[in-house]
Amino acid sequence: MFEHLHAGLLAAVSMSNLIALFFGTFVGIVVGILPGLGPMVGMVVLLPFSFAFSPDVALSLLLGVFCGGYFGGAVPAVLLRTPGVPSSLVTSFDGYPLTQKGEAQTALSAALLGSFGGGVISVVILIFLAPALAHVAASFGPPEYFAVAVFGVVLVVMAFREQFARGIMLLGLGFWFSTVGIDGTTLSERFCFGTLSMQNGLDIVPICLGLFGIGQTLILVERDIMKTNDIKLSRSTLDFSAIVKVLKYWKTLIRSGVIGTFVGLLPGTGSILASFLSYDVAKRLSKEKERFGKGTPEGCLASEAGNNAVPAGAMIPLLTLGIPGDALSAVLLGVFTINGIYPGPLLLVKEPVLISTIYISMLLINVVAFLMLIIWLRPFAMIVKVPGKLLAVVIMVISMIGIYAVNTRLFDAGVAIAMGVLGYILLRMGWPVVTLIMGVVLGEIMENRLRETLSLGDGSLGILFQRPICIFLIVLTSLIILIPFVLDIRKNIRNKKLNQF
Amino acid sequence: MPKKDYYSSRAHDLLGSIFGVFALSMLITSPWQVDTSGPDPFYKGPLIFPLIVFCLMLAGSLPSLWRLFRPSEKSSWYLDGQGKPFKTMVILGLLIIYLAGIIFIGLEVSTWLFLLIALKLVNQDSILKLTLIPVLVTLILFVIFKYFLDIWFPEPLIMEIFLE
Repeated sequence: MFEHLHAGLLAAVSMSNLIALFFGTFVGIVVGILPGLGPMVGMVVLLPFSFAFSPDVALSLLLGVFCGGYFGGAVPAVLLRTPGVPSSLVTSFDGYPLTQKGEAQTALSAALLGSFGGGVISVVILIFLAPALAHVAASFGPPEYFAVAVFGVVLVVMAFREQFARGIMLLGLGFWFSTVGIDGTTLSERFCFGTLSMQNGLDIVPICLGLFGIGQTLILVERDIMKTNDIKLSRSTLDFSAIVKVLKYWKTLIRSGVIGTFVGLLPGTGSILASFLSYDVAKRLSKEKERFGKGTPEGCLASEAGNNAVPAGAMIPLLTLGIPGDALSAVLLGVFTINGIYPGPLLLVKEPVLISTIYISMLLINVVAFLMLIIWLRPFAMIVKVPGKLLAVVIMVISMIGIYAVNTRLFDAGVAIAMGVLGYILLRMGWPVVTLIMGVVLGEIMENRLRETLSLGDGSLGILFQRPICIFLIVLTSLIILIPFVLDIRKNIRNKKLNQF
Repeated sequence: MPKKDYYSSRAHDLLGSIFGVFALSMLITSPWQVDTSGPDPFYKGPLIFPLIVFCLMLAGSLPSLWRLFRPSEKSSWYLDGQGKPFKTMVILGLLIIYLAGIIFIGLEVSTWLFLLIALKLVNQDSILKLTLIPVLVTLILFVIFKYFLDIWFPEPLIMEIFLE
């Protein structure tokens, strides 16, 4: 293991990897700071460029955006009570009151130290937990993989339980997108509508770029992002003494990092739950409970450690099982598969150096993002002044050219525009677009595993009930679906009875 | 608008129903849209997964279809109060023209024109922004894609006309 880590370290500190890592982190912080954009837009815009690089460099670039985005999101949350990324909302509970008291430096120190600590803790957990999980998954056959994929998809759909039917529809639509083109197993044509362009299938890049890149920018065109000149920062860099001051909350930092990692590990849970949960636990266990919500650095630290631990947590099921936990890791899965690398338990055996490079790169990204924000705090904070509409128009052009550049096909750009329209409608109506992306990314995996399982069972899914792991996963999946519905029904009955009285 | 009311807008039911009708039509026509002439049995073939998927979509759309045709008294078409997306549609139209523009007038001119018009449309009226940003972005895109990445872009049709 240590020799692979050493090889990974050497690959991670190569010039090309470091440039990608720096640039990705920089872009991540910028899109994280800008409310309305977020790391997803940054990742999908850089996605076409990533194909020019080797897989490790491409992944460092995109992981930089992924992790950097969470770092950046804390800055406007603390200074303006406007979270750059949704999960930083919790950071604003204590960060903004501290800013109003003239303690913006303390709040930002706590938030950034939390982000850094949470990120590092989660990568360490990833390094030790991923091989253990991969060891268990090594005994999996197609039925187990199919059951795990169903479990992951159900978790994501159930995360949007209030919109269960909509989640199912979008998941189905995503699955359908993945079937368009020539079927890899039988070489049969599917849903090509008589056109040659459709035979290559719908690439994941134009779909992601359209849904999130163009869809989100179309939303930005019609809505005014908050602009302000009121940025209360006493100095242009982060005060080192303020960082030292918040180090006394080290127990909260470790605890929140661990919580964030394990929340990130579960598909569909996401960074918002991680920061809420970390904040809530920190509040319950704190000696200064009454200060929470009124301005305590401990709250900022807990929330940011929780949400910044999510990226590494989400990498655990992605690397070991090939199941992405959210839309961001679904895009990363796309990068793996486009480069001919298929995440799963064998990946850790087949590509140990690549995996170690990812680990080391993630550690470096946390260090780089932390240092960037310490040194260039004011310039980064000033980014919120850039008009969102101007950015939206520029991002649209970059997206269109980027998408064309991947395969030099204008058809892909057309697909991106169509997906942009769909993305705009879905984002404006608040539908769970994540399930659509999950469907697109997992569609091929699910279909292949289903057909392999059916082949093993001579056309019957009964084989799933002959394997202990499958039975366990089926029971777990059923419980995840049934328990919330049963609880809802009980609640409705109780409410009706109360209304009768 | 409260979250519950937002999600109970009939616009959601209409969109859900559109997905449902789409799934039903695909479910019916998919045997003709999928080449099933191979020797594989049905469970190994290319049609089984799409059929499951369309059934899933159709099942998910049933509540929307029901609500669309049997609306409750309180339901309305009100969505979010953000108005009709005229500007968005114009920008979208421009984006489509921009794609066609790459074929007819080339990458550089169409990018510059798109940025100029789109920035004006989104009220970025300052002369500095309108002159500098389109030129700068066009230049950066040209350098990255044509110079560094050596990506092939279609020869502008207009040039061919002039050269003839």
